[in-house]
Amino acid sequence: MAVAESAGRIAAPAPAPWWRGRAGLVLLVAVAMGIAFIGWRSELVWPASLTWNALAHHLDDFQTWLSNNRNVPHPSVFFRIFNGLATFLDNIVGWLASLFFKLTWAGTTALGVLVVLRFGGRRAALGTLAAFLSFALMGLWEPSMRTFALTFASVSLSLVIGLPLGILAGRSDRFRRVITPVLDAMQIIPAFAYLMPIVLLFSVGPGAAVVTTLIYSVPPAIRITALGIRSVPTNTVEAAQALGATRLQTLFKVQLPLARRLLLLSVNQTILFALSMVVIAGLIGGQGLGDVVTSGLYSNPAFALLAGAAIVIMAIALDRATEAMANRTDPTRRHLTEGDKKRLRLFTLGCAATIGLATGLGHALGAASVWSRWTAQAWLLRQVQSALDYVQNPSTFIFHITNPIGNFLVQYGLQPLRSFFVEMPWPAMTFGLALIAFLISGLRPAVVTLVMLTIIGVSNEWTQAMDTLSQVLVATVLTMLVGIPLGVWAAESARTRRVMRPILDVLQTLPQLVYIIPFIYLMPVSIVPGVIAGVLYASPVVIRLVEAGVREVSPHSVEAAGAFGATRLQTLIKVKIPLARDAIMLGVNQGMIMVLAVVVIGGLVGSGALGYDVAQGLQQSLFGQGVLASLAILSLGIALDRVTQGRRRRRTEELA
Amino acid sequence: MKFRVGGTIVAALVIAVAITGGTAAATAAKCGTVTLNEQAWAGSTANTYVVKNVLEKSLGCKVNISKVAEVPVYQAMADGKTDAILEDWGHVPQWNQYVTKQKTVMRAGANGVTGVIGWYVPTYLVKQHPELKVWTGLKKDATLFKSPESGSQGMFLGGDPSYQQKDKTLITALGLNLKFVSVGAEPAQVARWEQLYKQKKPVLFYWYDPQYLNATYQLTQVQLPKRFKGCQDDEKQGGDPKKYACAYPSYTLLKFMSKKFATSGSPAVGVVKRFSWSNADQNVVAGMIAGQHMNPDQAAQKWIAANKAKVNKWLGK
Repeated sequence: MAVAESAGRIAAPAPAPWWRGRAGLVLLVAVAMGIAFIGWRSELVWPASLTWNALAHHLDDFQTWLSNNRNVPHPSVFFRIFNGLATFLDNIVGWLASLFFKLTWAGTTALGVLVVLRFGGRRAALGTLAAFLSFALMGLWEPSMRTFALTFASVSLSLVIGLPLGILAGRSDRFRRVITPVLDAMQIIPAFAYLMPIVLLFSVGPGAAVVTTLIYSVPPAIRITALGIRSVPTNTVEAAQALGATRLQTLFKVQLPLARRLLLLSVNQTILFALSMVVIAGLIGGQGLGDVVTSGLYSNPAFALLAGAAIVIMAIALDRATEAMANRTDPTRRHLTEGDKKRLRLFTLGCAATIGLATGLGHALGAASVWSRWTAQAWLLRQVQSALDYVQNPSTFIFHITNPIGNFLVQYGLQPLRSFFVEMPWPAMTFGLALIAFLISGLRPAVVTLVMLTIIGVSNEWTQAMDTLSQVLVATVLTMLVGIPLGVWAAESARTRRVMRPILDVLQTLPQLVYIIPFIYLMPVSIVPGVIAGVLYASPVVIRLVEAGVREVSPHSVEAAGAFGATRLQTLIKVKIPLARDAIMLGVNQGMIMVLAVVVIGGLVGSGALGYDVAQGLQQSLFGQGVLASLAILSLGIALDRVTQGRRRRRTEELA
Repeated sequence: MKFRVGGTIVAALVIAVAITGGTAAATAAKCGTVTLNEQAWAGSTANTYVVKNVLEKSLGCKVNISKVAEVPVYQAMADGKTDAILEDWGHVPQWNQYVTKQKTVMRAGANGVTGVIGWYVPTYLVKQHPELKVWTGLKKDATLFKSPESGSQGMFLGGDPSYQQKDKTLITALGLNLKFVSVGAEPAQVARWEQLYKQKKPVLFYWYDPQYLNATYQLTQVQLPKRFKGCQDDEKQGGDPKKYACAYPSYTLLKFMSKKFATSGSPAVGVVKRFSWSNADQNVVAGMIAGQHMNPDQAAQKWIAANKAKVNKWLGK
């Protein structure tokens, strides 16, 4: 009887996939919007009666107030605290930089190479030596050392703040729910928007630069660490607790070691994000390579490319060195005897002595604090300049291919899409998008979408936001199309990983204006360079997170699938990817955030709209304009994020 | 054994530190350290490096170059972190805040350069269409400037977001069939019109002088309606577009210095106040730096060597 009943239950057909019926409904909504567009095109713009026009002025007044109160002879305690913090950070960076100069180039090189040699091994030390050599050969020693001091301080502080908070977010769901919107805001709001308030609070200099960098590089530290802690299988944690481990013991002896790979990714991403802020940091006194890039863009693009290459080299060297050092200290890989320990101690002392010797010799032989004698800078600049001259020449055959493609893309693809979004009657757009959000993800994301669109309309940013939205959607879709498959491929193939890793490092740290502006010579149209910038900046993050997620899938599950006779492809599609869902969704979220983070760069290369408004807001002291445009970017980000993530939360609730 | 090894290390480090401490700082001279600010464009590099080399060679100052952006640099001067800026294009809100109200920044006179902003077309285009010398020619010829982004209208290339501009309103006010296309920062805008120029195609864009590219490319300014009383230039103020229907004003570029520097009694203060040169001078040096990619110090020294009389005037001789 019971068997027949259960057999009856088992025989019930499986429910249709959640997306099948919905896709039809979404299409219906899109068609309805299309009809509204054709019928009432450009007629219904967001009504002026529903906008709060004075908001921009209030914000401008706020900045004036801040400035006036900061620059009095005796500022209040509030400003003194920030001043103190700024001076403290200034001093740290200044002290580090002057240390590098006091040791002379010989001592500094010895310091870097030998520390990495002692703690990271020969290969990493060779990489560090190559990095120092390249800074010297490019004639960029002094800016590189200043940037290194800034980055070292920023990354250390980011990890000190980020790792503990990440562990907390990994262990406590409530904390994660609270902190996620804050992290979203920190990553999406363009630095240009809060640059002036930072200057008014922290003045100008390396201190303000560190703060700006921190705001951008702490969130990945927190997020990826949290992902790492959460990805430790619950049964392992339970087993530890069953054996009597306290919470701290579980953390340090079970969760952190097992989360090793993702913790390393967290450090890697913090380093890369910190170095990607070098140019913006230069605008408020960060000094170093960022300044070289900025003036190079206007006067000497070859020099800007060289400085960009130096930033990339520093990123890769730092990343490989920290990884080697982390691997060396992995307790599972080291079996130290007493003799080993003694030899290591001698080795350390030997390294310290060599550093002192190198410094002493350097000073004795009159070595300067920076290397400036024999550099290959002139030769390098000539090579890069001839490459640039070729790219900038409209008679080349490349131009005859890329120019028509760009024109076609804009005339028949991007520009009509932009018109569709901008000229759609606002009720159709607002309710249409909310309805689509409801169909894809459920009620709460739909409400969030409605609220975000209302905020955009009320702050008088409707046209600009719709313009940016059309471009962001294209860039996000392209990023996912490129990033997710490449991430899965990298997870499956070690060779692909090895080849892709330096490319991804370059794309994440090479200042974008440095390569996008030459690209504009090849494809001289508006929207395409901005979209390309978004895709190239966001894809590496997606690829890395998807790769990490798929690789982390428990080998037991893979074995079990194999035992059932699944092929490699079946295992991949039906076991690994579903189990890696958390990491993939974080990849989607971070990819979309990165596309939004680059909207300002897009504005500087022709995307116009919100990105341009933010840039202009800083540079013409229109604080209100900058803040409102940033708020619009943030609103778009929140809406997009809730829509893409909402489905996952609904399913977990259904399963529970 | 441990002590011997340890002792050697300590000795080596002590020697290293002693040597470092021994190297004295460069002679301060009564000038001391001066921090000048340089903006990203070549013209600013030109005037900053020329003054830097004059101060270093003639007064023995130690000159640092800061590269803070146009608006934050006022706060840098208020904090005494930057001493002087040599080129300001009319940041009136900052003048009101820092110079008039807070008195943390002081004026240092004009730098002799007059900024001219306007609408420019290539000279070869004017030869083919002479009516484009005046804005009324655009009424008929707007569609010459069509591009994929502008659809059926002509394209007007807007300027760098940090530059004063009112072109959107101006196009509406003059009733022209042009679409304002913002193409981003100056390097991106230059990429756009340079490519069209090299292909000998029509292009209409926001441009200005002093700019080193004006020596490389032949450009003609389109004459805009004459300035009348009550003419407005700040788009943010809104109002009737007709009030904006006039040419841009010419900008007297000003110098500013921090109060700390101005009251320091350094001989550099006088040099900064007296520094003054012409548009042509600035374009020559900027051309060497950005056009020929010469090292800025070398370019500055070359110009100084060829213009001793002017330099002596700045030194008060």
